[in-house]
Amino acid sequence: MSRVDEEPEPTGTGDEAGTTAAFTALLEDSAEELYESAPCGYLSTLMDGTIAKVNATLLSWLGLECAAVVGRVRFTDLLSIGGKLYHETHFAPLLQMQGELRGIALEMKTAGGGRLPVLVSSVVKYTSGGEPLLIRTTVFDASDRRAYEQELLRRRQEAEQARAEAEQARMEAEQARQQAEADRGRLADALAVLQKSLLPDALPALPGLEAAGYYHTASPYQLGGDFYDLFPLDEDRWAFFLGDVCGKGPQAASLTSLSRYTLRSAAHHAPEPIAALTTLNTVLHERFTNGGDPRYCTVIFGQLEPQPGGHVTVRLASGGHPSALVLRADGTAEFLPTPGGLLVGILPTAPFATAETTLAPGDTLLLYTDGLTEARTGPARDSLFGEDALRTFAACQAPATAQELITALSGLLESFGDGLDDDTALLALGVPTHPPTRPATNRPG
Amino acid sequence: MSLLKITRRDAATGPVLHVAGALDYDQAPALRQQTAHLALKPGQCLVIDLSGLEFCDSTGITVLLAARQQALAAGADIALVAVPPNTMRILTVVGLDQVFTIRPHADSN
Amino acid sequence: MDILRRNNVTVTGSADGPVVMLAHGFGCDQNMWRLIVPALAERYRVVLFDYVGSGSSDLTAWSPERYSSLQGYAQDVIEVCEALGHEQVVFVGHSVSAMVGVLAAEAAPERIGTLVMVAPSPCYLDDEGYRGGFSAEDIDELLASLESNYLGWSSAMAPVIMGNPERPELGQELTNSFCATDPDIARVFARTTFLTDSREDLKKVSVPTLVLECSQDAIAPREVGAYVHAAIPSSRLVTLDATGHCPQLSAPEATAQALLDFLGAQR
Repeated sequence: MSRVDEEPEPTGTGDEAGTTAAFTALLEDSAEELYESAPCGYLSTLMDGTIAKVNATLLSWLGLECAAVVGRVRFTDLLSIGGKLYHETHFAPLLQMQGELRGIALEMKTAGGGRLPVLVSSVVKYTSGGEPLLIRTTVFDASDRRAYEQELLRRRQEAEQARAEAEQARMEAEQARQQAEADRGRLADALAVLQKSLLPDALPALPGLEAAGYYHTASPYQLGGDFYDLFPLDEDRWAFFLGDVCGKGPQAASLTSLSRYTLRSAAHHAPEPIAALTTLNTVLHERFTNGGDPRYCTVIFGQLEPQPGGHVTVRLASGGHPSALVLRADGTAEFLPTPGGLLVGILPTAPFATAETTLAPGDTLLLYTDGLTEARTGPARDSLFGEDALRTFAACQAPATAQELITALSGLLESFGDGLDDDTALLALGVPTHPPTRPATNRPG
Repeated sequence: MSLLKITRRDAATGPVLHVAGALDYDQAPALRQQTAHLALKPGQCLVIDLSGLEFCDSTGITVLLAARQQALAAGADIALVAVPPNTMRILTVVGLDQVFTIRPHADSN
Repeated sequence: MDILRRNNVTVTGSADGPVVMLAHGFGCDQNMWRLIVPALAERYRVVLFDYVGSGSSDLTAWSPERYSSLQGYAQDVIEVCEALGHEQVVFVGHSVSAMVGVLAAEAAPERIGTLVMVAPSPCYLDDEGYRGGFSAEDIDELLASLESNYLGWSSAMAPVIMGNPERPELGQELTNSFCATDPDIARVFARTTFLTDSREDLKKVSVPTLVLECSQDAIAPREVGAYVHAAIPSSRLVTLDATGHCPQLSAPEATAQALLDFLGAQR
């Protein structure tokens, strides 16, 4: 704040005096003093590098005495080994060619054994005749700049390292992924072979009967537990079975294998359906009664016996398995109920339900596992295809040969898409309306 | 997807497990664990109340059978109560309606 | 593979003259020779090239395995000779390249007829009874300084060098790219150059050899020139009145003359 009513002070006289004094001091500053005490190093060398003159600033930076330097050493002698090499291969040749160089990074040795990073500029002084006479060099202390550059370099190295590590990690992940994929492929191949070993290679040709089978694998990486078989008992009679063991995976597969071979061997010793299932029940119960989770299966076992007139009698027993379905030549479809049959393997003795029917020419018997009836047909968890829909679907197909029925049902299974999340086995046995001209066989799908 | 929720209370006759949600491949093991840790005494009855059960597939059936084995091994009994119709249908198909004691309500004896 | 392109081979001079191959040293490229090429070109077929990893060579052809030994560089020399179909070549090697020439002459005697070793050193490291000019600490410091890359080796940190209006032949292009080197490659080349002891190889030289040294050389001291001369019975030693490690730049006329004198005497 200043008072407006006061005369302004005369200004400038004091400052002018100061400036004048400063200029006077500068003028009194000799060129010699300026050279010696400049804020940068100065040196002049002969063309062979011998130092002819050097200022006090550079000497003090390097910790050297003037007498030990002038006329005694060359500029390169003051450089670190790296600096010396660079000077010889780059600096000196370029200076020779151009007569001038600016801002070259070098390192000088100090008397104490340390290193002084410097930026060097040199210019060649020529004689009036154009001959090079001497080299004038200025030296700037570049310690701070070097520290900054090293920091930059360190950061860049860190960034490169991080990038390299990220790339390495990405490559390893990719390798692991490819390995996992290859492993999955091998697993799927192995499982497919195993799964196939649990089913007949091909259904045998039966006199007066057409058979067709189908197997849907829900996952190539998971062994399913469904199985079926069809085989002769003696010259006249045949046996068949279709079942579903609890669970999935290797344990289910071993149970499947055990069930299949037990039923096949039981069929030859005691071919009555109830007897075969009882044998299986005993084997499974004894095998798995000791601790662990319950291991059981549902299964329908049946006998086929041809009758005069092309008819075939079917006698079957069920242990907890969904009812078989019969498609008649007249276009109807009906279940062959087996209520009260119990899961096989959970109790020491188990009740099994029997049923009997006769297949006339044009009739077809269908056995299936619950993958078919429990396929989801809607977004809700419990909107399942169900037995009623199956019967309706079958009635629409009837009359159908075994192969026609299996073809229609495999199409149906496919239409379920993701709704079909369980393995599903189908076995159809049909009496042809005319004696077959060729044995009908079918490989598992 | 309905999550499985199991709540336990102890009645005079023994533990009562109320099961709500889905007993399927992913969730049934939770019930298996729960029952495996029950310390049943001879003469008790393990009651599994299925009134809140929305879905049960074959893995659910296996877990119920495992619970039964465990109860019998401990000299106890097991009862399923308030079995929903769709599960009842499955139990009937596999014949387990003859194996399990099945009661309409939790408080019925 | 196109070797001529890989090694950025330039052929100039007298079409039917004897072949003189000029090989640059560590941290440089064929531009190193440009001041003496005109003097040689009148009578000789002059072959210039860059080692893989240097100058304008194909950097994708570089591998640390091959170029971690001087044999890898010698292989470059032999392959260039093969690609050009030249035999009995006069090989002029500067600095570490002088030893590369020794190895190439040993591996492919039909290709190399004469050796000129400019400021050579078979071993930079001091040893018992041998003064290479560098202590073990010097070499360590040198390699460390290359590791930390704060000298001007890398093109990224190379100083901006001005053109010289009085020397228009030194264009901006040349001066700015003068011997700029990829730092990773420079590190490998430096290790190979400064850690190799090739003294034993000198004894195997049987071709006429010129050892050309400078009177003042901070990299290859006079003792080393004398050592090389003594180790190669078929050699002649010429000491140039020149300063520095690169007489072809610091004293091009004298260097060219020494070369021409030697080659003339060989004919």
